[in-house]
Amino acid sequence: MAGVSLSDVKKRFGAAEVIHGVDLTVEDGEFVVFVGPSGCGKSTLLRMIAGLEDISGGEVRIGERVVNDVEASDRGTAMVFQTYALYPHMTVAQNMSFGLRMTGNDKADTEARVSRAAEVLQIEPLMDRRPKALSGGQRQRVAIGRAIVRDPSVFLFDEPLSNLDAELRVQMRVEIARLHGELGTTMIYVTHDQTEAMTLADRIVVLRAGRVEQVGRPLELYHDPANQFVAGFIGSPRMNFLPGTVVSRGDGRVRLRLERGGEIELPLETLPREGAAVTLGIRPEHFVPAGQGDCDITLEVEVIEHLGATSFVYSGTRSGAQIIAQRPETPESAEASEHAGERLTVAIPAARAFLFDDSGARLR
Amino acid sequence: MKQRTGTAYGFLSPYLIVFAAFWIWPILYSFYLSFLFTRRQPWTWNPRVTWGRLVQDPEFFNALKNTLLILVVQVPVMIALAVLLAVLLNSTLLKARGIMRFAFFAPVVVGEVAYAAVFRLMFNADFGVINKLIEGVGLPAVSWFSDPTAAMALIIMAVTWRWAGYNAIIILSGLQSIPDDVYEAATLDRVSPVKQFFYITLPLLRPIIVFCVVLSVIGTMQLFAEPFLITNRGGPGGATETLGLFLYRQGFTVLNFGYASAVAYTIAALAVVISLLNLWLGRDAT
Repeated sequence: MAGVSLSDVKKRFGAAEVIHGVDLTVEDGEFVVFVGPSGCGKSTLLRMIAGLEDISGGEVRIGERVVNDVEASDRGTAMVFQTYALYPHMTVAQNMSFGLRMTGNDKADTEARVSRAAEVLQIEPLMDRRPKALSGGQRQRVAIGRAIVRDPSVFLFDEPLSNLDAELRVQMRVEIARLHGELGTTMIYVTHDQTEAMTLADRIVVLRAGRVEQVGRPLELYHDPANQFVAGFIGSPRMNFLPGTVVSRGDGRVRLRLERGGEIELPLETLPREGAAVTLGIRPEHFVPAGQGDCDITLEVEVIEHLGATSFVYSGTRSGAQIIAQRPETPESAEASEHAGERLTVAIPAARAFLFDDSGARLR
Repeated sequence: MKQRTGTAYGFLSPYLIVFAAFWIWPILYSFYLSFLFTRRQPWTWNPRVTWGRLVQDPEFFNALKNTLLILVVQVPVMIALAVLLAVLLNSTLLKARGIMRFAFFAPVVVGEVAYAAVFRLMFNADFGVINKLIEGVGLPAVSWFSDPTAAMALIIMAVTWRWAGYNAIIILSGLQSIPDDVYEAATLDRVSPVKQFFYITLPLLRPIIVFCVVLSVIGTMQLFAEPFLITNRGGPGGATETLGLFLYRQGFTVLNFGYASAVAYTIAALAVVISLLNLWLGRDAT
């Protein structure tokens, strides 16, 4: 087992720099998730750790060893691919044992490792089948099994659940979490799905356009995002952003006027100047009933999604200034629920609101 | 529904009539011909002078031996070369891959007569560039057109030159259908590139390679242009006469259509048997 550390790691494809100097330390045994939108460089960064992409600058360490110039095969990592990357002409057992057989590992030891991995992943009945005779979930298990038998010091997962249906994704997510608990090996996991990131990670690394936006524990990112991007990316449905202007400041408080109407006062340590354009962030789940918060806003209801325990009220989707409010749902509230075209007034509690300046940086 | 089927066949009929007249009928008629004595009018039923002659004709067996020799030597060499070429043409290390791919495919596009003429010039015993090169490294010149072994080698080289690139392009399409991440997984599994080639690439290419072998077998069984054009109608002294050439000689030089038909059916039957054998050997074990 080993930790991984990146210092000022860069990646260039020709003249285009896609990773702009990433610094990160992954502790031994930690489960770290790289999350970010498509094209943010998270898979590239993972492949640079694996050795499948060259490093254009900086230093990658696995354990105590600098691996910049170490071949991918000698880095002691194992990777699970989004497409599974199983050997189509081999059975499950052959797929799992291939690497060990090719490197001359002892036959009895190879068999023991394969059957142990098969047992952990509950794929024993599938051992003689070929990949084409397996479902997506079974293939992914085999791919994980192939990684396990090598007993790597670091597991790398490149969007391993993206090709699975929603139900299977939840099931495999739980299994990967269980596996991490059992093996205790360092795992680095790439996903664009923030739910996967929140549920699996010890720590999340949020990436945007080749830069680390924030690193932290899942709830830390949720409760204390460093900027508007992280605030919007972590949490589902995403945080609502309401543009506004500072109308007065002083005494550790700032008063702003929201563009859509209404004023609210927030406590702040560093006060923006009067007239500054700011954005107020409030999560859908943090709205409170009208009159119980610090600023009431009225929503034109466009769509209501009833999920059973909660409902989501969508407003402003047509104008682009979308606001989503989450409300607890009971049989009575569902009966009395608004309909599309009606108005709904909710309130923003100042204590749950975030403030961002016009560059997206958090104002605290 | 019936009327719609009728309309469809109506549209197909021009093709079907031509197909029947120039494809089906000759096939059936030549089978009938193969039982006729056709050296004298009127043609008479006499399988003894066609099929009977075939099984004891030394010239037929010479052509059969030559054809099988080319098959056994040339096809494996060419397919191995084609696989290597395909791997090379697929390599990201290769510059100007597009031009290279066209260059190796180009021999198929060149007319047979033109390429045969160039080969005859290159391998000319007295002033050909090949003998000049051989003499340049201190080896004796080779009589490419008068030495039976050399003539056969020349045919094999010519056919290989013409078709290796063509097969390489087919195999290249197979190579490109193998996803990169399978190789990446193997690399992380610490499998060396050479082992990756033998344990991943070759097994996954097997259906494509079998396809190329079957195509090549059929092509070799019908081999005609090279021995006709390069080695002077199967010379020297029938040393490079193939079944295709023997068939042509019987049919269009001697005008013995009955015997030529029997030879044609034998060639087709052999091609089918050998191709089926290839397919059976190359079948997926599961």
